[in-house]
Amino acid sequence: MSYEKITLENKDGIYYLGFGKYEEKSMTVLYKETLMELDTAFGEVASDKKAKGLILFSHKENCFLAGMDVSVIQGLSSESEAITGCEAGQTVFNKLEDLKVPTMALVDGICLGGGCEMILACDKIIASDNPKTAIGLPEVMLGVLPGFGGTYRLPKKVGLPNSLDMILTGKQVRSRKAKKIGLVEAVMPKERLLELANENLFKKFEKNKSMTETLTEKAADNFIARKVIFQKAREKVLETTKGFYPAPLKILDHLEGSAGKKRETYLSREAKAFAELTQTSQAKNLQHVFFLHDESKKLETETEFKKINRGAVVGAGTMGGGIAWLFAKNNQAPIMKDISVEGLELGLKQSSEVFSKAVKRKRMSKDDFNRAQRSISAQLDYNGFKNVDLVVEAIVENMNVKKAVLSEVEKEVASDCILTSNTSSLSVGEMAKSLEDSSRFAGLHFFNPVNKMPLVEIVRHDNVSDETINALYKWVLKTKKTPVVVNDCPGFLVNRILAPFLNEAAYLLQEGVSIKDIDSASLNFGMPMGACRLMDEVGLDVCSHVGEIMEEGLGARAKASDLSKLATDKDLLGKKSKSGFYTYDDKGKQLDVNPKMQALLPNKKKSMDETTIQMRLFLPMINEAANILDEKIVDSAGTVDLGLIFGIGFPPFRGGLLKYADAEGLDRIVDAINSFAESVDKDRYGLSSYLENLAKNKQKFYEASVQ
Amino acid sequence: MKPVYLCSGVRTPQVKSGTDTKDVDAPYLGHYLIRHLMDQTEIPSDQVDEVIVGNTGTPAKYPNIGRVIALEAGLHKQTSGYSVHRNCASGMEAVSQGFVKIASGRSDIIFAGGVENMSQMPLIYNEDMTEFFIQMMKAKTPADKLKVVSTFRFPHLTPVIAIEQGLTDPFCGLNMGATAEKLAREFGLSRLDQDEFANKSHAKAIAAMKAGKWNDEIVPLLAGKNLEKLITEDIGPRDNSTIERLGKLKPYFEKKTGTVTVGNACPITDGGSMWLMASEEAVKKYNLKPMARMVDFHFHGLEPERMGLGPVMAMDGVFKRSGLKLSDMDLVEINEAFAAQVMSCMQVAKEKKYADKWGIDVLGEINPDILNVNGGAIALGHPVGSTGSRLIVTIAHELKRRKQKYGVASLCIGGGQGGAVIVENLEL
Repeated sequence: MSYEKITLENKDGIYYLGFGKYEEKSMTVLYKETLMELDTAFGEVASDKKAKGLILFSHKENCFLAGMDVSVIQGLSSESEAITGCEAGQTVFNKLEDLKVPTMALVDGICLGGGCEMILACDKIIASDNPKTAIGLPEVMLGVLPGFGGTYRLPKKVGLPNSLDMILTGKQVRSRKAKKIGLVEAVMPKERLLELANENLFKKFEKNKSMTETLTEKAADNFIARKVIFQKAREKVLETTKGFYPAPLKILDHLEGSAGKKRETYLSREAKAFAELTQTSQAKNLQHVFFLHDESKKLETETEFKKINRGAVVGAGTMGGGIAWLFAKNNQAPIMKDISVEGLELGLKQSSEVFSKAVKRKRMSKDDFNRAQRSISAQLDYNGFKNVDLVVEAIVENMNVKKAVLSEVEKEVASDCILTSNTSSLSVGEMAKSLEDSSRFAGLHFFNPVNKMPLVEIVRHDNVSDETINALYKWVLKTKKTPVVVNDCPGFLVNRILAPFLNEAAYLLQEGVSIKDIDSASLNFGMPMGACRLMDEVGLDVCSHVGEIMEEGLGARAKASDLSKLATDKDLLGKKSKSGFYTYDDKGKQLDVNPKMQALLPNKKKSMDETTIQMRLFLPMINEAANILDEKIVDSAGTVDLGLIFGIGFPPFRGGLLKYADAEGLDRIVDAINSFAESVDKDRYGLSSYLENLAKNKQKFYEASVQ
Repeated sequence: MKPVYLCSGVRTPQVKSGTDTKDVDAPYLGHYLIRHLMDQTEIPSDQVDEVIVGNTGTPAKYPNIGRVIALEAGLHKQTSGYSVHRNCASGMEAVSQGFVKIASGRSDIIFAGGVENMSQMPLIYNEDMTEFFIQMMKAKTPADKLKVVSTFRFPHLTPVIAIEQGLTDPFCGLNMGATAEKLAREFGLSRLDQDEFANKSHAKAIAAMKAGKWNDEIVPLLAGKNLEKLITEDIGPRDNSTIERLGKLKPYFEKKTGTVTVGNACPITDGGSMWLMASEEAVKKYNLKPMARMVDFHFHGLEPERMGLGPVMAMDGVFKRSGLKLSDMDLVEINEAFAAQVMSCMQVAKEKKYADKWGIDVLGEINPDILNVNGGAIALGHPVGSTGSRLIVTIAHELKRRKQKYGVASLCIGGGQGGAVIVENLEL
């Protein structure tokens, strides 16, 4: 038998089964063919009477097995197909579990999903001390559950609470933690895994559990305790998912209902649960988002570009400090320049707060905090600018000031240094005019707070070079953020689509719809925050300023409500002034609806049903997204959706704004927009001709703009 | 000897111990100065030959602080680093070693300076307690352990204060303050003389601060519990210092008959200073613009109980080495460990009987108008490991400001030594 996905070697009766030898990608995944070969291989070992043992390992560094090929999961078109698929995998892993000889997995690098389920079927798992070694079951993030026996074997190995923690969140555990919870038998230097394999295969590993661990385990192991654990887990799941995601609940039902059942029954229940989940729209949408995100990590280019090793931020403060933090976190010893010590301290505080949180959560040692925070050179002059590869300008949003500063910075840096502006709304093309060499300039728009928001918009203009865009794209990826490349326009991609959402919310308020109704309508749609709450977060002064820019740039359809301006005049700035639509305490915790804001709104309240509010909020977004595609601001519907999911937390289970629109039916959407054009405002609901054409041709967003 | 260039020198703000910098580990009083100096140039990080750092209260966590600073500064891992200790002149010793290496052609680019966090000097278990721990470790059975435990007495917990021990001469047994009292007695210096001197030091330091003179040499230091505060100025000089106030302080070292108080002595302080030193070849290769040339240095010993006179002996030596005279000097720095000690030096320098007694030439009168023109350690403090290089930083910047040529920086060294360095300003 020759193998094409795996390798199998018999050394004195001990079989060595290796992965990744023939995988060209950096990550080895499980294909259907791999499963078939595994089945053959396990059969070969089982039928060899002289076999003494089986050892699984990886030929590849830093990756054991990254799990099942997601496109296989996505391709499951019916429940019965999914069940068949599951059973095939389960059978193979059962075969591994049933081998008479000792079996052991040597895990170096990531081991996820199906990979994790496979090693669970081994007698022993030894993990390497490689910091990249991580084991997990991320299926829940794709809207499904582990279907190759993971839900059966993990609780047996690590106990119920630990399993729930891993299966419900999809979190990965590193070697030390894996040893602690009993997922692996031992942690050893990666260079010695194979060397010691023979010895370890026959060695007995004692679990040394602490008193508390034993007690917790004992306590969890009875009927009442299990009830309580599941009850608590359910509450927690509902709290975090607000019921939008079926997978975690299904996981809980399955684990609770199948507990104590025999392997065969348990596994068939697992397969059924998996199969049901594969057919939900949420799972399909989450997988769609997975592919969008995965695609964004690739940069195919022929052109050479500069590697960015060190950066500088001009303008400390919230954004500047956040960007400095990002540089520092990525070992890029940034320079942070401002015009006052107070400004610098504001930026330092921003960075320090994020790092301190990591220290508190024991994700970072105090020494590392000291090192990282001190790697930021906070200064008032341009010392060292000659030595940086990237400058991010993050000063006040004022075109003239920005132009002056950019032209000043250009004189201080090396000729190949990339210059960028973190503007959120000003024209990048206009700014480029201030520079002698604008081919090395682009917009680089981070979202607030930088540490939490994954999206970065890279904004092109007429003169920018591909080298510049590529270098920025690569750098953004390196910092583990998600880049999208957009063309210059007011608000770029994300804010341009967000603006009508917020603007429409303001109009609704002025029509008499209550703050609470609007926010709960947004939340019930799946948005992470209500529209009014979001305006508080952004700052009403900023909303007002952006509103003006949008109206100026886009004309009547972006006519801004005067509410944010009225509020700003009364010093109701949102969270930063502790007073906006809501009031806030000193720690920024939201308190109640703000009576001062109520005073600016009509006394007479208008009741509007939730669906209508949602349509009023989301239709203008879809319409504006159509305009954006029409103007070729971004290359595809997928980019729009990626931007909104990672930029404003548009609900991933909906697959993105345009995926949602496609599912709802564009003709229905066009009708609804047209009717609002009549009943509400003909400009704000002025139908995008791009959208109109799609509907006319019975096309979807995703069909019209293929990536 | 090849010429040795002092390209650029900077320092931290000097901060009274136990205040804002008490949590700043000593390496972080130096690493960022190197970063700052590197940023002034385009020298690739792998082209630095060595980092030499003076430090006296070696923190247990950083036995070779020079190497730690080199790494923390982001220099290439192949850059070697070491630490030197010559008590109060450790920073000067570092710069002097840099001088020798570059002058002899062994090295081209060296960072040399000093750091000291006196806030973090430890309390140490006394001998009895140490013995107790040793016995506990030896005891195997519970019974043995119990036996050892029973020997415990509360006085075992009385700590040895490292800083106090460090400031006491092990040879003559005198505390540094007591050596200053001795000089005050022998040179007939009154309490008032010393207080007046101290008061002037504060006034000069405050004037320099107000005139923004320190801006060129101080690089703001990141401090605070959460590392979000920038210290931009020295914390120590008093703008409300008066002779009357100083007069109210009680003598600290000889309580009944003494004249030396905490007011006319230097305070315990944290700080660091750093020089980028380079050879002529390196200056040309990297287009550096050196602010000064280091002419030479000299260290000299004398009786430990009169260690305060060390600067005069060292100046005599460096003048002889360089062929320059006191009268060639446009500026003089004598570190103000104690007012009494600096004033004694001024007498020894000009009087033949003293010169004969210590076997040196008569240096001449030290003009008070060019001595410690921006105040000294009485106001600015004395972070022991750093002061030697800090004095060179300060005098070089002041020469540049005044467009004058020569300056000598000197200091007394606990244990009975003196050190002195002559610099020549190149930005005339």
